[in-house]
Amino acid sequence: MSNSVRATIAFSIMAALFATVGFGQSWSVALAIFNLCLISSIMALGVNIQWGYAGLFNVGTMGFAALGGMAAMLVSKSPVPEAWTAGGSNLFFAALVAVAVLISIVMIVRRMGKGPLRAIALTPIIIVGYFAFRYFFDQASNDIEAFNPAVSGYLGGLGLPILFSWIVGGLFAAGAAWLVGRIALGLRSDYLAIATLGISEIIIAIMKNEDWLTRGVKNVAGLPRPVPYEVNLQETEWFISMIESLRSGTLSSLSGDERTSMLRTLVMESSGIFVKLCYAGLFATVLIIILTLSVKALNSPWGRMMRAIRDNEIAAGAMGKNVTKRHLQVFVLGSAVVGIAGAMLTTLDGQLTPGTYNPLRYTFLIWVMVIVGGSGNNLGSVLGGFIIWFVWIEAEPVGVWLIDAATNWMDESSPLRLHLMESAQHMRLFTMGLVLLLVMRFNPGGILPEVIKRERK
Amino acid sequence: MTDTLNALVLFSNFVLVPGIAYGSQLALGALGVTMIYSILRFANFAHSDMMAFGTMVTVLVTWWLQSIGVSFGPLPTALLALPFAIAAAVVMSLLIDKSVYQFYRKKRSSPAIFVIASIGVMFLLNGIVRFIIGPNDQRFADGERFIIKARAFKKMTGLDEGLAIKTSQCITVVVAILIVVALFWFLQKTRTGKAMRAYSDNEDLALLSGINPERVVMVTWIITAALATIAGTLYGLDKSFKPFTYFQLLLPFFASAIVGGIGNPVGAIVGGFVIAFSEVMITYAYKKFFMYLLPESMAPDGMIQLLSTDYKFAVSFIILVIVLLVKPTGLMKGKVV
Amino acid sequence: MKKLLLAATILASLTGQVLAADSIKVGVILGYTGPIESLTPDMAASAELAMKEISDSGIFLGGMEMESIRADSTCVDSAAATANAEKLITADGVAAIMGADCSGVTGAIANNVAVPNGVVMVSPSATSPGLSQLEDKGYFFRTAPSDARQGEVIADILMSRGIKDIAVTYTNNDYGKGLSDSFGSAFAAAGGSVSMVAAHEDGKADYSAEVGALAASGSKHLAVFGYIDQGGKGMIQASLDTGAFEVFMMADGMFGESLLEAFGTDLNGSIATVPGAETAGASTFSAMAEKAGITVGGPFTGESYDAAALIALSMQAAKSSDRAAVQSKMMDVANAPGELINPGELEKGLRILAAGGEIDYVGATGVEFNDLGEVLGSYKEMEVKAGKYETVMVR
Repeated sequence: MSNSVRATIAFSIMAALFATVGFGQSWSVALAIFNLCLISSIMALGVNIQWGYAGLFNVGTMGFAALGGMAAMLVSKSPVPEAWTAGGSNLFFAALVAVAVLISIVMIVRRMGKGPLRAIALTPIIIVGYFAFRYFFDQASNDIEAFNPAVSGYLGGLGLPILFSWIVGGLFAAGAAWLVGRIALGLRSDYLAIATLGISEIIIAIMKNEDWLTRGVKNVAGLPRPVPYEVNLQETEWFISMIESLRSGTLSSLSGDERTSMLRTLVMESSGIFVKLCYAGLFATVLIIILTLSVKALNSPWGRMMRAIRDNEIAAGAMGKNVTKRHLQVFVLGSAVVGIAGAMLTTLDGQLTPGTYNPLRYTFLIWVMVIVGGSGNNLGSVLGGFIIWFVWIEAEPVGVWLIDAATNWMDESSPLRLHLMESAQHMRLFTMGLVLLLVMRFNPGGILPEVIKRERK
Repeated sequence: MTDTLNALVLFSNFVLVPGIAYGSQLALGALGVTMIYSILRFANFAHSDMMAFGTMVTVLVTWWLQSIGVSFGPLPTALLALPFAIAAAVVMSLLIDKSVYQFYRKKRSSPAIFVIASIGVMFLLNGIVRFIIGPNDQRFADGERFIIKARAFKKMTGLDEGLAIKTSQCITVVVAILIVVALFWFLQKTRTGKAMRAYSDNEDLALLSGINPERVVMVTWIITAALATIAGTLYGLDKSFKPFTYFQLLLPFFASAIVGGIGNPVGAIVGGFVIAFSEVMITYAYKKFFMYLLPESMAPDGMIQLLSTDYKFAVSFIILVIVLLVKPTGLMKGKVV
Repeated sequence: MKKLLLAATILASLTGQVLAADSIKVGVILGYTGPIESLTPDMAASAELAMKEISDSGIFLGGMEMESIRADSTCVDSAAATANAEKLITADGVAAIMGADCSGVTGAIANNVAVPNGVVMVSPSATSPGLSQLEDKGYFFRTAPSDARQGEVIADILMSRGIKDIAVTYTNNDYGKGLSDSFGSAFAAAGGSVSMVAAHEDGKADYSAEVGALAASGSKHLAVFGYIDQGGKGMIQASLDTGAFEVFMMADGMFGESLLEAFGTDLNGSIATVPGAETAGASTFSAMAEKAGITVGGPFTGESYDAAALIALSMQAAKSSDRAAVQSKMMDVANAPGELINPGELEKGLRILAAGGEIDYVGATGVEFNDLGEVLGSYKEMEVKAGKYETVMVR
C-alpha cells in the first residue's frame, strides 16, 4: 500500500473517531481533544526534525515546551511597574556581575593553557563571582517577591498580544537548545539523551522556584486570549442572530418563553464550540505552515545532507560536511518547533502552571507519537500526534469499560474487582509502552514510513 | 571542646549519616546502569522502574510474611522477602530481554534504538507496578526503627545536638558493602566474570576466543536485576516506597555512572558517593555548624547555604555537565566516548 | 414555565416519587485522588448530605431532586481538572459546581471553564489569597476563608504562646506558598521573625535535606504548611527521626486523624489550626454528620455542606436552575436581611423562599459573604494532648 493511501485511510479513521466522540459524548469534548491533537502534532514534528532527519536523541521535550509556555506568559501579561522599581536596579547589577564573571572565565579559558594554573586562576573568580551575584540577586528577588505576593510578586511581562509569544517561545527554546547542544553534541548519542533529560528537569525547577520571574508554583492565571470569551459571545448580537438562523429548524417549532430559553441554551452550547473552533483554526494554520516548511526542508539538498549524516556520519564527515555544526543546527530548529507548540499549549490553557509539567506526558508520550507515526516522515508525525493523543485521552474510559466487562462475573464488592477498576487509569502507561514496543518490533517504519526519493535522470 | 563535639555531631546527623546511606543506594543503582552499559552498550532508561518492580514484589511478599506471622526480630522482614523479589525481577528481566532486546541485538541496531526500546519497557513496568500496587506511598518497614534515637543520644552524651541512626541506614551500608565485595570477587575470580570483562573490553575478540555472548548477556541481566531489587528495597526501607520516586532516581543514577566513568564498576561506586555527598553538602545550611565552631562575635548572619534545597536534584545534573565539559571520560577512566 | 412546574409537582405527588428527569444536576468536583484524597470523601459526603436534605424536602423548585455528579479535580493537575470540569458542564449539563478543593485547580477551573461558561462555582476549601483577585465576574464564591486570614491567626497563636522565632516549610504550590507569604508578613508585623523558609515538594521519598537546612536555623519550632497525605507528613517524620524539631505548628491542610494514627503521642504539644467555629450550627452539623457516617470535625466538611446548601437555596430563590439565575441570588440567600437558617433547617429555608420571603443562611460555619463572595471565617486553635486533638479556643 502506498503512503498516500495509508495516510488517507488513517486520517479518515481519525475523523470517524472524532465524530464518534462528538455524537457520543459531546462536540465540545471532541473539539477539546482535537485542539490538543493539533498541538501534539506540532511537538511531534519538532522531535521528528531532530530524530527523523538527523538521528538526534532529545528526551528534553518537556523543558522546551515549558520554555514556550513561559514565553506565552512573559509576552502577554502586563508589566508590574512597582516590582521593577523595587528590584530592577539590583537585578541589573546581578546580571552585570554574571556577565562579567562569564566573560572573565571565557577569557581565562581561551588565554591560558590547560593545567593546574588555570584551575587556580578560575576558582577564586567563580567563588567571588557567585557570592557577589547572590548578594545582588537575593536582594532583587526578595524585593520583587515582597510586592503584593498574593496577586503579583513578579516582574510581569510585556503586555503584548499573546499570539506574538508563539514566535518568542520558539526563540527561547532555540536559545536553550543551542546551549545544550554546545555541551552535549559531539559526545555519544546517549549522553545527549541524558543531558536533555537533565536540562528539562532544571528548566522546570527554575520555573517552579524563581517566583520573581514566573510566580513559580503560585501560577499565572488569566492570560489574555487570542479569541473571544464565551460569556461575551453569549451577549453579542451577531453571534445570537447567527445561532438563531443556524438552528432555526429547532427553534421554529417553539414560541414565546420556551423559544427564548431554548435559544439561550443553544447560544451557551455554541459559544463554547465557537471558541474552540477559533483555537482550532489558529493551531491548524500554524501546523500547516510548519508542516509545509518541514516537508520542503526535508526534500531540499539540506534535507538530503541531513539524512546522509544520519545514515553514515563518518562518510558524511569525509565528504567535508561539518557534522557537529549540522547537528547543532537541526537540534536548535527542532527544539524551536517544540517551543512554539509549548507556547500554544499555554495559550490554550490560559494559564502557566509550572507544577504540572511531567516527563511522561510531555517527553516520552511525544516520542511514542513520532515512532508510531513514522520517524522521518513529517505527515507520519502529525498522524502519530493525532492517534496517540486520542488513545491517551480515551484509554482511561475504554480501560474502565474493558475491565468492567472482564470482571462482570465477579461480585460487585469483590476486592479484586474494585482494585482493578481503581487501577484502570494506570493501564494507559502500560498501553503506551506496549504500543511503542510492538510498532518498533513489527513495523519499525511506523504507520507512514519514511519515503526515500531517488532522482531519476 | 563541647562546641566542637556539638558541631561534629550536628554535621554527622544531617550530612554524614544520610549522605553515606544515600550514596550506597546510588552506588548500587549506578552499578546496575554501568553493567548494562558495559555489556549491552546502551543507557537503560528502564533500570529505575525495574527497581520499582523488584521492590514492589518485596513489599507484597513482606506483607504476606507479616500476615502469617513471620518476622525477623529487630531486622525488617523485607530482608527475608528479598530472595523472592530477586527471583521475580530476574525472571522479568530475562523475559524482557528475550522478547525485546534480543531482537535488536541480532539486528545490531544502534544504541539509540536500544534506548528507545528501554523507554518502552519503562512505560510497561511503570504501568504494571502502578496497576498492581497503586501509585501511593506504601510502608513495609518493620522491626526496630532506630539504632540510636536523637533524644537518647542527647541524654547519653549530654550534648546539645542529637544523633539519630536508623536501622535501615545501617543495613543499607552493610548490605551495599557485602554486595560490592561479592560482585568484584565474581568479576575478578570466576570464569563467567572474566568472560564478562573480556566481552566488555572487546566484543569481537571475546567472540573469537569462544565466549558465548548470549550467556554473558543473560548473566548480566541476572546480576543487574538482583542489584536493582536490592537497591530498591534498601531505598524503600530507608525512605518509603512510591513508584514515581523511583523514576526520579534515574537522573542521579546516570549522573553517578557517568561522573565515575561509565562502564567502570569502581567508577559507579565513586560516582554514587560523589553525587550523594554533593547533593547533601551543597544544599545544607551551615549556620548552626559555624555558630558552634566560631566565637560569638563572628557568628554568621545568613544561613550559609550554597544552593536552596529546591534545587537539590539539580546538583547531580550540574556536576554531570561539569564532568562532561572538563573530563568526558569520567573520574575513573570509563569507556572511551 | 410555571405551568410546567405545577404539572411536575402534580405528577410527582401522583406517582409518589420524583422521576429521574426531574432532577437538577450539581457537579461535586474534588480531589478524590491526589494529596488530600483522605479528606475528600467526607467533604463530598457532606455536600451530598445537604443535597439529600434538599431533595427529601419535596418542595425544591416544586418537587425537583438535586443530583450530585462527582468529578475528580486531582488537587494538583490543572489540565485534568479543567478537562473534567469541561465534561461536567458540557456533557453532564450541571447547573452549578460545588468545588474545587485545592487552590491551584480551583483557579484553573474558574478561569478556563466555569467563568467563561457562566457557571457558579462554590469552593469549600480553596483558601489561596490570590483567588480574591480572580476576574470571576461574580461567579466564584467560597465558604472557606482566605489564607490571608489564616496567616494572621497563626501569627496570633504563636505570639500568644510566646513563640517569637520559627522555621517554616510549605508545600511547593500556590496554597503553601500563599499561606507562607501571608503568615510571614503577619508574623513580622506582630514582632516575630521567621528564621528560615524552605519549600518541600510533595511525593518525594526523602525530606532529610530540607529538614537539615531548617534545623540549621536554630529555631525550636517548625510551622508546616503542607498536605497531610504528602510532603507535610514526610517533613514531620524526618524532623522527628533526626530530632530536629519536636513541636509543630500545623495549618489546615495538615489537620486530620491519620496524622495522629501515624505519630501518636510524638506530636504532643503541637498546635493545629482548622477553619470552623463552635456555634450552634456547627454542633447541629456535627450531630447530622455523625448520623450520616461522616467523620465528625473533619476539615472542610461543614464548608462543603454549606456550599451545596447555598447553591440549592439560590436556585429556590431564583425559582429556576438557570445558571445565571443561580448566580444572581447567591448573595441574597447568604446574607442578611432574612430569617436565619441553620443546618438541618434547609426545608424551612426552601419554604420561606418559595413563599417569596427572605433568608440569611448561617449554616455550619456561619456563612456571611463579603463583596467578593468570600467568607471571613473563624479558626479553631487545636493542641495535641496525649495523642488527641483538643480545641483550645476559637479565633
